[in-house]
Amino acid sequence: MKYFFKVMLAESWKQHRNYFSNKLIYVSLFLWPFLSFMASYYSYKVFDIEGSVVSYISGGNIMVFLLIGYMGMSFFRSVVQSAWHFSFERQSGTLEYIYLSPASRMAVILGNALSSVFEGSVAMAVFGALIILYNKESLSINVIGLVTVIPIFLCVALLWGAFLNACFLYSRDTDFLFTVLEEPMEIFSGVKVPVSIFPGWARVISCIFPLTYALEALRQVMLNSADISSVKNVVIISLVIILVLLSATLITIHIVEKHMRKTGNVILF
Amino acid sequence: MDLKVLRATIKKEFQIRLRAYPVDFMLGCILTSFYTVFGAWMMYHYFFGKRLATDFSNLTGTSDYMSYAIVGSLVYMFVVRTCLNVSRRLITELREGTLESLMLAPFKRTSYFVGNMILQTIMTLGETAIAMVIGVFFGLKIHDFCFWKFVIALILSIYGFFGLSLILGCVMIYTRDTYISQNTLFTAIFLVCGITFPKEYLPGILQFVGNIIPVTDCLTLMRADFLGGLTNGRFIYIAMRIFLVGSVYVFTGFPLLKQLEKIALEKMEG
Repeated sequence: MKYFFKVMLAESWKQHRNYFSNKLIYVSLFLWPFLSFMASYYSYKVFDIEGSVVSYISGGNIMVFLLIGYMGMSFFRSVVQSAWHFSFERQSGTLEYIYLSPASRMAVILGNALSSVFEGSVAMAVFGALIILYNKESLSINVIGLVTVIPIFLCVALLWGAFLNACFLYSRDTDFLFTVLEEPMEIFSGVKVPVSIFPGWARVISCIFPLTYALEALRQVMLNSADISSVKNVVIISLVIILVLLSATLITIHIVEKHMRKTGNVILF
Repeated sequence: MDLKVLRATIKKEFQIRLRAYPVDFMLGCILTSFYTVFGAWMMYHYFFGKRLATDFSNLTGTSDYMSYAIVGSLVYMFVVRTCLNVSRRLITELREGTLESLMLAPFKRTSYFVGNMILQTIMTLGETAIAMVIGVFFGLKIHDFCFWKFVIALILSIYGFFGLSLILGCVMIYTRDTYISQNTLFTAIFLVCGITFPKEYLPGILQFVGNIIPVTDCLTLMRADFLGGLTNGRFIYIAMRIFLVGSVYVFTGFPLLKQLEKIALEKMEG
């Protein structure tokens, strides 16, 4: 176990240094989510906000509602991007060294996801500070609920990242996963529009994204002062997702290794 | 302009697109347009129960929000596709290792870029048509269509976007980066050019930024072609403004690009 954590920390430190060696990372980390958030905020102005069909959303807290959405979104997006960056290991030929080393595959993958969770935390802290600074009065936080929900949210994001990393290990041609997961996540997981008012078919799609549950729980405890019992269902679903993602990652790693042995080529498998 | 170079560029680029790149990139852009429209549709129909703010129709001259947003997303897709491909041309040549050969060849910048723009415009018009069909399902309605106004708006838009692409190309070739520069520009365009909401909602400084990007005015003309709400005098005034702003971009872009090519070639081995 000691070696597992050692590998995990080493990999996350390596990836962190890799990303932050270029200062332009701050543009993608802060500027893009901020510009997208502003665009969404102003697109709400087209509507009569007081006429929203969701009871806990009003003109006063719409900004907070949206900020929480983008906060979660930027967090999950950096995890998706980390998986995409991991595919560069293959192109630059370093993936074969990782496979030849005795390092645990799971530790490497978790380490990579962990480094992006750190990036996400920074972005999250900035967004969080903005929320508190501008809209203190529109928040209605249940502290115990929030303290419970945040670690679950972090775990879900970490394992979602680990699972995507494992998927990107399988083949060179996994860029489509990025196309399929990046923008639909913003639409279907309720970043801009709450999932509760989605039509049935859209709600089915939203179930695929762990961000849906994370946002629902975060908004309930921050805007609606919901206690643990009110968000019980979402918490249980999140715990199930954690287990499913963990097993899916382990299975994918196993399949990748088997596939690699069969094809016999470490770089081009 | 050298027509031989222009024809050769179109032929070369078309063959590259056909043989070397998969179609999923094109599909990705149509999907982006779909997601934008879908997001607007969800907000309009489900989140706010079709209730618009009182000042929306005064500012836009229409009360058809879905058509307003769909035309916006179609023009946005057009900008992204043309700017992306034209501005990335030189840096792609640099990355593929063909920039040096291109510079050694009897290469005319104007014909080369115009050739790229023509090919991209034709391809993008096809994609926009597909996205438009999708838009019809989400409630796109044509209220007041004038063919000649549409042709004028289209030609001016292509001119304006071409200028914008040249400037973006300069940034790309200088910074040797495409990912950050292109995405920052496109996210900024989405915010300041009034793609899904009237730009009048934005603070003054952002409105000013929107006014110096030709996309804002092109969008106003395109919306006027499909949805009406703009007098002829105003149409001509905005058209002139696009022409002027576009010319500034084009006539700054070409000489600047020529200078930056030299730097790029010097740094090529570095």
